[in-house]
Amino acid sequence: MRRAIILVLMLLGMQIVLPLGDRGADQSALLTFGFLILAAYTVGEVAALVGLPQIVGYLLAGVLFGPEILNVVNRSAIVSLAPINKIAVGLIAFLAGAELRWSEVRERGIKITKIMSTELSLTFVALISLLWILHNQVPFLAGRATSQVVPLAMLFSAMAIVHSPAVTMAMLSETGAQGPVARTTLGVVLFSDVFVVLLFALVMALCRTLVPPSAIVEEPSFYAVAWEIIGALVVGALFGALIGVSLRFVEKEIFIFSIVVAFIGNELARVTHVESLLSLLVAGFVVQNMPGRGESLRHAMERSAAPVFVVFFALAGSQIDLLEVLRYWTLVVPIVLVRMAGLAFGTRLGARWARAEPLVGKYGWLGLVSQAGVAIGLATVVVEVYPEHGTSMRSLFLAVLAVNQIIGPVLFSRALLNSGEMAHSAGTDMAAVRD
Amino acid sequence: MSPAIVLLAIIALAYLATHVAFDWLARRFHLVSGVEYLILGILLGPSASNVLSAADLQSFSPLITLSVAWFGAAVGTRLVIRNLVAIPALHYRLAFGEALVTLLIVVLAELLAIQLLFDLPVQVAFVPALALGAIAVSSTTLGIDVVMKSFKRDAPILRLIEVGALVDALVAILAIGVLLCIDRPSSFSGARSFTPTEWVAITLGIGVVGGALFHLFVGTERHSDRLFVALAGTLILASGAAAYLELSPLMTAMIVGAMLINTSQSHAEIESVISQGERPFYFVMLIFAGASWSPTAASWLPVALFLPARALGKVGGARLSARLAGVLPLVGRGWGWALFGQGGLALALALDYRRHHSASFPNLVFTAAALSVLLTDVLSARFARAVVAPVLDAVHPDQLAQAVEQEVP
Repeated sequence: MRRAIILVLMLLGMQIVLPLGDRGADQSALLTFGFLILAAYTVGEVAALVGLPQIVGYLLAGVLFGPEILNVVNRSAIVSLAPINKIAVGLIAFLAGAELRWSEVRERGIKITKIMSTELSLTFVALISLLWILHNQVPFLAGRATSQVVPLAMLFSAMAIVHSPAVTMAMLSETGAQGPVARTTLGVVLFSDVFVVLLFALVMALCRTLVPPSAIVEEPSFYAVAWEIIGALVVGALFGALIGVSLRFVEKEIFIFSIVVAFIGNELARVTHVESLLSLLVAGFVVQNMPGRGESLRHAMERSAAPVFVVFFALAGSQIDLLEVLRYWTLVVPIVLVRMAGLAFGTRLGARWARAEPLVGKYGWLGLVSQAGVAIGLATVVVEVYPEHGTSMRSLFLAVLAVNQIIGPVLFSRALLNSGEMAHSAGTDMAAVRD
Repeated sequence: MSPAIVLLAIIALAYLATHVAFDWLARRFHLVSGVEYLILGILLGPSASNVLSAADLQSFSPLITLSVAWFGAAVGTRLVIRNLVAIPALHYRLAFGEALVTLLIVVLAELLAIQLLFDLPVQVAFVPALALGAIAVSSTTLGIDVVMKSFKRDAPILRLIEVGALVDALVAILAIGVLLCIDRPSSFSGARSFTPTEWVAITLGIGVVGGALFHLFVGTERHSDRLFVALAGTLILASGAAAYLELSPLMTAMIVGAMLINTSQSHAEIESVISQGERPFYFVMLIFAGASWSPTAASWLPVALFLPARALGKVGGARLSARLAGVLPLVGRGWGWALFGQGGLALALALDYRRHHSASFPNLVFTAAALSVLLTDVLSARFARAVVAPVLDAVHPDQLAQAVEQEVP
């Protein structure tokens, strides 16, 4: 009840303040940002009360107060808050990389690779098959010859198999989960980021040959796309090494140093034309596994994780386009279901092949449903290459992503609870919220 | 290698070199570091490398406003009523005397300089002059902290300097807050324009409502993560509302901080959360302050006048107030030098003023503040030590305490 009162009071306050000032986006950005943090955190607590992960609450708050429904956080405010979101993404990526230990990679690397390759392959094939079957209903495939349907379906599927390191990190941070399901899921999600972007580059090259773009667009050579990945590994490793050395000179200002790392990392990725998420992920991994003070940097970043997640997911939620979901619901539902089936069978098969713990085979796939981050970037590349049908492909993809974004954390939470890996049970968490 | 990467590497090296150099200076000469972040900002900004372009700075403006507001909240948490009432009235008389004389001298000097240089009417020139006056009043506590650690005792002169710095902060923030209410642009879409007094009331109201919202939001929660989110959210919301209405986020946040520290059961945790964020936000502010600094050659007279006028105000005002109170031999003739270190609050005030759309001479005001920080901040501990050491040697610690006791009826 108290939370409902807070939300109503804040909404009323916004209605009083907004007409008094200049309605410029820059001026209102901080106001809406503050509102979003408090509102998202409140909805997150309500979500915890009904047994949902808090990040689902943050996402729902973004949807509710975003431009699609209440429009308290309008589109121009979202654009104004993009730099803050960028730093949040950088921190999450760095933290995700820092979660991986070299010893763990050596110990579980083969298992993770086997599980990842089977789940990605099966899901990829399943989605292509579904799109081929439904191609007359799919806007960017309808009326095309089979020679064009298959490569375009492959392109869509290459995007649709992406996972979300941010959601995985947020869920592990929220639940404090430690165990084979949590660690394997994190490993698969991080490894797959590299693999999926490489696969996407290959499929895009094939697609450009079989379905030539109608518009004259700049040639995104295979080398350029490959550099985005390989370069990210190189740049990330070098950047990580540089951070490791610099940490010797940083004593009290470790928190601000972590913000600077996220900012410079993003900037470095931009000027070297590499994938920023991946490069920061690698940098985090290198710093953590280098002798030195990587651990203290990780702790500093972890301390800031809670507000960073609130901001990141609330902003992500505000960008969810509900109208697109409704418009394409007849396609979204089968795609989401088939993707989940591919993940479930693929993970189970991969776990058996890798002789992983039975719980990993049973529950691991539930942690792979979420999508965000890299996937949106890939969809943007498609629109640049295929301005005509790329737009409808992106719209459908973002609709699928919206659904996965909401149900993914719920499923992962179930997986961690059922596998008994949560540091504290959901019941305890809810009790804390009630208190 | 790409020029951009070379540039980033040079900046990283320059930062590390400056950081190491200032760290060494701080240890060797009791100098206070932090200026290196201002220099890093200058290197990153449009005046030097343009890694942080003008557009980037614009897009980071919410973060800059937040760091300014955090500073205000930190000042607010020092306004604990039960501690304030325990401070002897003599300390307040000396501190307010020094602060108000400084404000007066700098405002008059700058008013004259700006009027002469730009041939402006008094009411127009008064706005930047008052902003400079408010900035001049503020003084850092970092130097005093260093000296307190080295003397390891709570001498009355140190307590006086501490109170002086707090009163300086309070006067400076109130002056800039009221100035922004007076100089607020009149164009607004409401039924009628509010008067400056009403805007002052609105500024106070936002602070009070922000504090109340925090209580409602947190309830009895004491977990540091939740407190941090609630506190950050409340501060962002309150300072965002103030910024949106073209008021002072610094003053609003100070009120929020003061309200929370005096009314919340979790005041210790709140103080801890705010102080944990103070240093990082201070550095964020320094970086962006440096990056957004664009000195203009046309207005060097008011800038050059700022430091001497401030020195005159600080030392003269302190001396005058001590003489009037009859404690000059006990506190020393130059005790005002201990408050000469400028501190980050000056930059927060300058940023608060410059953020204001109708602010006149924003670069002039900002340049004066930045130069003053660069020139006085590193020496703040030296200034404080130079004042405290002779007083502690010559005057028995009980003498000032007795003078204070005589003041109490």
